[in-house]
Amino acid sequence: MRSTWPAVTFFAAAALGPIVVRDAFLLDGLILILLWGATAASWNVAGGYAGQVSLGHAAFFGLGAYSAALLGTRWAVSPWIGLLVGAGLATGFGFILGFLSNRLRGPYFVLATIAFSQVLLIVASRWRGFTSGSEGIPVPFRPGFWTLGIADKRAWVYLVLVLAALLYLVQLYLERSRRGYQLAAVREDEDAALSLGVPARRLKVAAIAASAALTAACGTLWAQYVGFVDPYYVFSVDLSVRFCLAAILGGIGTPLGPFLGAALITILETSLRARFGGIGAGLVGIYLIIYGVVLIVTMRFAPQGLLPWIAEHRRRRAPLGTTA
Amino acid sequence: MSLLSVAGITKRFGGVTANRDVTFDVARGELVGIIGPNGSGKSTLFEIISGFYRPDAGEVRLDGGPLTGLSPDRVCRLGVARTFQKLRPFAGLTVVDNVMVGALTRTRDVRHARSRARELLDRVGLGEKADAHARTLSTGQRKRLELARALATEPRVLLLDEVTGGVDQRSIPGLVQLVRDLHRGGLTLLVIEHNMRVITAVAPRIVALYLGEKIADGTPDAVTRDPRVVDAYLGQAYTR
Amino acid sequence: MDAIPQLLASTILLGGIYALIAVGLTLIFGVMRVVNFAHGEFLMLGMYLAFWAFTLLGMDPYVTLVLGLPVIFGGGWLSYRLVMRPVIHASHNVQIFTTVGLSIALQAVALVLWSADSQFVRTGYYAVVVRFLGVALNLAQIAAFAVAVLFTAALFAFMRWSYTGKVMRATAQDRHAAALMGIDTGRVFALTWAVGITCVGVAGVVLAPIYPVYPSIGLQFVLIAYVAVVLGGLGDMFGALIASLVVAGVEVGGSYVIGTAWKEVLYLLLFITILVIRPAGLFGQRGAEVIGT
Repeated sequence: MRSTWPAVTFFAAAALGPIVVRDAFLLDGLILILLWGATAASWNVAGGYAGQVSLGHAAFFGLGAYSAALLGTRWAVSPWIGLLVGAGLATGFGFILGFLSNRLRGPYFVLATIAFSQVLLIVASRWRGFTSGSEGIPVPFRPGFWTLGIADKRAWVYLVLVLAALLYLVQLYLERSRRGYQLAAVREDEDAALSLGVPARRLKVAAIAASAALTAACGTLWAQYVGFVDPYYVFSVDLSVRFCLAAILGGIGTPLGPFLGAALITILETSLRARFGGIGAGLVGIYLIIYGVVLIVTMRFAPQGLLPWIAEHRRRRAPLGTTA
Repeated sequence: MSLLSVAGITKRFGGVTANRDVTFDVARGELVGIIGPNGSGKSTLFEIISGFYRPDAGEVRLDGGPLTGLSPDRVCRLGVARTFQKLRPFAGLTVVDNVMVGALTRTRDVRHARSRARELLDRVGLGEKADAHARTLSTGQRKRLELARALATEPRVLLLDEVTGGVDQRSIPGLVQLVRDLHRGGLTLLVIEHNMRVITAVAPRIVALYLGEKIADGTPDAVTRDPRVVDAYLGQAYTR
Repeated sequence: MDAIPQLLASTILLGGIYALIAVGLTLIFGVMRVVNFAHGEFLMLGMYLAFWAFTLLGMDPYVTLVLGLPVIFGGGWLSYRLVMRPVIHASHNVQIFTTVGLSIALQAVALVLWSADSQFVRTGYYAVVVRFLGVALNLAQIAAFAVAVLFTAALFAFMRWSYTGKVMRATAQDRHAAALMGIDTGRVFALTWAVGITCVGVAGVVLAPIYPVYPSIGLQFVLIAYVAVVLGGLGDMFGALIASLVVAGVEVGGSYVIGTAWKEVLYLLLFITILVIRPAGLFGQRGAEVIGT
């Protein structure tokens, strides 16, 4: 999976989207695919490339969403500044979590990340004076690029496309650079990596902090696009699961995988919504049942995700000597 | 002047003393074998030299500079590489990527690291397997892979833990020849080996450990005739 | 300081119920090396079982407890066969995400069947309060505690004295050695899973008269169980028991001092502190978490 043409095709198609399609519903789907893909890619930086599987990444997403929303509503600060503040906060928390990950492996680390996101959920939903508590906060619409008050969905497509492409490049770097090789070694066997001179601990912390900051940036843009921040959504375990599900489904530790996974999930979700109309509990339920079953089935038959699975099968079918 | 000096190393685990006041020096370009029955503290000593364990007392020095207390990655960057007794290839990566990880400790250039890695794979006789996944290799091939990976970090001292352990008889001569060649090329080596025939043939000098203590240090002839070494091995044979 | 007897009594009652949830979780981890992220969902299903039997058949939750036992055990066993068995030898991450998938699916099934609204099991004795030595306690809570203690004691006795329990402990210590001794580890895993699920399912049934039921209620309780299980040392059943009391004490005391709104923060911070300071738990061997078991 070293070639980049599938990714180039994907991003080119996304860029053509607003030119070909005028339908707001479809454009909305495209924006969400790119946004969720970028968030899953951010998760992938820690979970896929560094092997630090987190089920608490919603915490960083929420930090980004809240930072911009609160700064905007309370002090009329630009969401771009909010994005930087959120990313900064997330980096700080990412370092703390990274420190934890140096002591905790496997399920212990996963549990720590869940606890961490739950603490932020409680703080956000109970600290009424500052965060407005469980009612959440509407993001004010102030027209202009600096205030991210953009009504045109086509403009949003290009905005999140830039973010998505950036995340793709970050992952490509992690696949091909010196740091990427070293990180892969840490993921495979930390002690063996150490014995070869790889500064494993520093790399893990850096990967988690970077992943946290990028996730926060996605959170800011999502909140500005959707226009409302609900603590029970942005800090939920369900949302954390959604990030990793997209990455795992598409191909964990591959640069295009998170986008493929996000596309599949978003298409499933929006098509169900379109068919049944509205979002009743029953509909959400059916969608989530599929979601859970897909995760179980993926783990059983293609635990590396779709892209590596396809690559494997193509390799097997190809005659010997054609895939050197 | 010795390149690697091990001075008064003591390490306890709870009530068990794995190493007691172990002292020896390794000169530049020397190949020293380490022998001893099971549980005599050979591997613990390697873990201490390579920075994975911190000794309770004593010091390890490389070319006069202290190694004790440094993290394993620092120790490696200072020039001490190792292989693992229980092999630990990066199973999900290709063979050449495995070796590149080592090479990237010395170069920032990925392409340069790749060509270095291929060179080393040719040298250990794994050139044809470069693009295979590490998990598809046999035990003997994995030993060669670990060797290439460690060599890629351009060590001044190489610690080899069980070169022939678990390898089928036919692969042993090739591996032994490889170690000999490295020694001839001027590399300083410290080799743990169970197979007495192999180690006496390869190492001009042998250090024997028993119950954590150094009991002999000298030529293969002298060490294998040393009554304490004989007792140690016989004792183990009887208690089995 | 008149409140102390009341706080102590509440702690013990609450701790007993937490213990039943936690021992199932820690048993599954100890024997199978799987952290069951769907554990809370089985609690939720137990609560809905009581709710359904109560509203459709007019069955008292304690009758449901007895009649429903085979259903809960069977459900646990079935979920093992369908979901867990194929990944029992897979990596940690694969197992984690499999149980996460199970958790999502089960929650969603509840959402479809019963909607997201809170449901209540309003028994005749719903509000009965028992006063004893100056301590006031809810009757349903006392009953839940009694059932929890009974089940936990039965589980401990089973693990200690029955042949099957010994086989399970042997498998927990060394599954390869156990397999070499002729133990059918596959059956041991299936049984362990089903027993662990039964514990938490029973806890769900007896909690139904006390708490409202909704699809995501499992998370609230299972987070507490995680805290107790890690505090007691993953896989250590006795540790989980003591730790459940500690967590309940923190919750009850915390609610009293700083109010109920922030009580969850207390035990989550306790959790994170333990993970940082002593990840192997109060009684566990240091370093277990790094070996990764």
